[in-house]
Amino acid sequence: MTLRDKTSTAWSNLGRRKVRTVLTSVGVIVGIMTIVTMVSLANGVRLQVKKQFEEIGLDRVTVRPAGEGGFGGGFNPFDFGGRTKIITPADVQRWQSWPQVEQASPEVDLPGDAATGLRFKGKSRPVRVAGSTSAFRRGPFSQPPTALAGTVELPQQRGVLILSRGALKGLDVPQRQYSALLGQTAEIVLAAPRGQKQSYRLKIIGISSDGAPSVQISALDRLAMKSWWFNDPNLLKTDGYDSVVLRAADVSGARVLVSRIRKEKFEVQSIDAILKVADRIFSVITIMLSMVGGLALLVACIGIVNTMIMSIYERTREIGTLKAMGASRADIRLMFMLEAGFIGLIGGVAGVFLGWLLGRGLNYAALWFAERRHLPLPDNLFVVTPALVLQSLVFAALIGILAGLYPANRAARLDPLAALRHE
Amino acid sequence: MTTNSTADNEPLIRVRALTRRYLVGKQEVRALDGVDLDVERGQFVALVGPSGSGKSTLLNLIGGLDRPSSGEIHVADLELGTANDKQLVRYRRERIGFIFQSFNLLATRSAVENVETPLVLAEVKAQERRRRALELLQSVGLAARAGHKPNELSGGEMQRVAVARSLANQPLLLLADEPTGNLDSQTGQGILDLLRQAVLTRRVTLLLVTHDMEVAGCADRIVHLRDGRIQRIEELRPKAAPPEFLPKDDHDAAR
Repeated sequence: MTLRDKTSTAWSNLGRRKVRTVLTSVGVIVGIMTIVTMVSLANGVRLQVKKQFEEIGLDRVTVRPAGEGGFGGGFNPFDFGGRTKIITPADVQRWQSWPQVEQASPEVDLPGDAATGLRFKGKSRPVRVAGSTSAFRRGPFSQPPTALAGTVELPQQRGVLILSRGALKGLDVPQRQYSALLGQTAEIVLAAPRGQKQSYRLKIIGISSDGAPSVQISALDRLAMKSWWFNDPNLLKTDGYDSVVLRAADVSGARVLVSRIRKEKFEVQSIDAILKVADRIFSVITIMLSMVGGLALLVACIGIVNTMIMSIYERTREIGTLKAMGASRADIRLMFMLEAGFIGLIGGVAGVFLGWLLGRGLNYAALWFAERRHLPLPDNLFVVTPALVLQSLVFAALIGILAGLYPANRAARLDPLAALRHE
Repeated sequence: MTTNSTADNEPLIRVRALTRRYLVGKQEVRALDGVDLDVERGQFVALVGPSGSGKSTLLNLIGGLDRPSSGEIHVADLELGTANDKQLVRYRRERIGFIFQSFNLLATRSAVENVETPLVLAEVKAQERRRRALELLQSVGLAARAGHKPNELSGGEMQRVAVARSLANQPLLLLADEPTGNLDSQTGQGILDLLRQAVLTRRVTLLLVTHDMEVAGCADRIVHLRDGRIQRIEELRPKAAPPEFLPKDDHDAAR
């Protein structure tokens, strides 16, 4: 019996119990639908995150002093003695001379509890003081701010600042007059818990589109502020810079930098490395979400086994007849395995379609919700790739064939005489 | 079929000291108890006897559906007792045609598709098998019913389809187990005529199990079985196929 004949026989045998076939495949449909939705969501989010990270730049490497407890721990003002290896201006100069480094920008973070205010045009309001490269701390879905006037690229120069749109709120300056503000002087007021205040006069060189009230000030100015805050003029000598952002010529250059600087015992992080970790995390999340679908598929398997056993029981006489006419065990086995595989495949086709549809629906709902809340969300959170479709279909068919293994073997082993006598 | 093992002086079927025992609970039942039988090519042999005499068991053993407990069954050049499963499957597919009392047509397939089934198993090309199946349906007088499903056919028609099906793979040997048992005598006679015709024109050998002596009367020989043994053999007609139906090479061998 040729494979083609077996396939067409298996297919037509499914057709004689249409309702049962469809009901049996429901389990597969639910399982595959869940998996497709979950994996397409993971795909979409991962793609977005990757895009965001790539916009920030895979060519950047951030260096931090050693002994701070790693990245993401935040700066603890009572723990600044903990640095075992500080970043000195000499280090920065040395790195700057490396061939892979295009630019090295040292960064200084103000203590988290330092109150900073903006005094401008006679009004005061609290603002956050940030550096030029605070990109890491942005949410995964926010766009990098653009320049509404002047520049958003902060030069390494003292005495200048970039205001955010949010910092100008309440000052009644319409957007078209933003460029008139360039060159004017604004005051940043630093208030210490001990009650003293210190103000710094800086020239406005740009307005950014960032909605949050913040100002960008160069690292050197921030170092001066921090020295005042801790009342320690030698802060740079004792603590060094809080971080240095190195911009490499390309991604491979960044990789070289990571390993070179890690050998010098500094803490190093690159977007590329973060992306790799993020990729791993997404894989874990995808697998975990898919397990829900896997559970449905397990139940579906049992359903298929049951249906196949039933249908083989009903066709015992027929199997006996086929065997008497010279069908081999392999013929019978493969025929029933194909039949079970078709049940899986039918479920797979419907499941992939419904999973895609569910993804569209959820995406629509998410966008609607995000719009109401004014959250920046990308257009497409559910990405169904051709590979996902193909893998799902193959997987569904395999599930069916696997479930058909035991019943098909039973059918193949039937004694022809006993089968022919079966009522 | 190789000529040296099936020259005309050699019988097609040679059964020697054949026994088949079953265990029913702890009791041993001897369905066949030392049977010797020769059947020549082109013969129509009826196996008769009361129920439990072992006639169906003998038929199933010769058809390769069952295995002997001891003894030998030679059909053409194959000894069924020592043949492996693969050989038996091939033997059933290429040399045997079965006809059952309850027809055993595949319910979801049309008459012509049923006739095609042995050819599907033998991997004959689709066009060729359809042509041959239609030809066979024509020869049993059912060309007009080719597209009908078994449940749209009468009992006699179903058995005609079954006869056509059993002939599809051009077997050496037709094995019929009570083929007229579910039919009225007139329809049954029609089926018997078809089978006789197949024996005469296609030179197949026919083994037919029945307990109806009238049916057995159409055969060339009647083998009477009782309690798993051959009681006696009646010769109704001397030699089967008239010489003009012999294929050419066999004709030469018979000289």
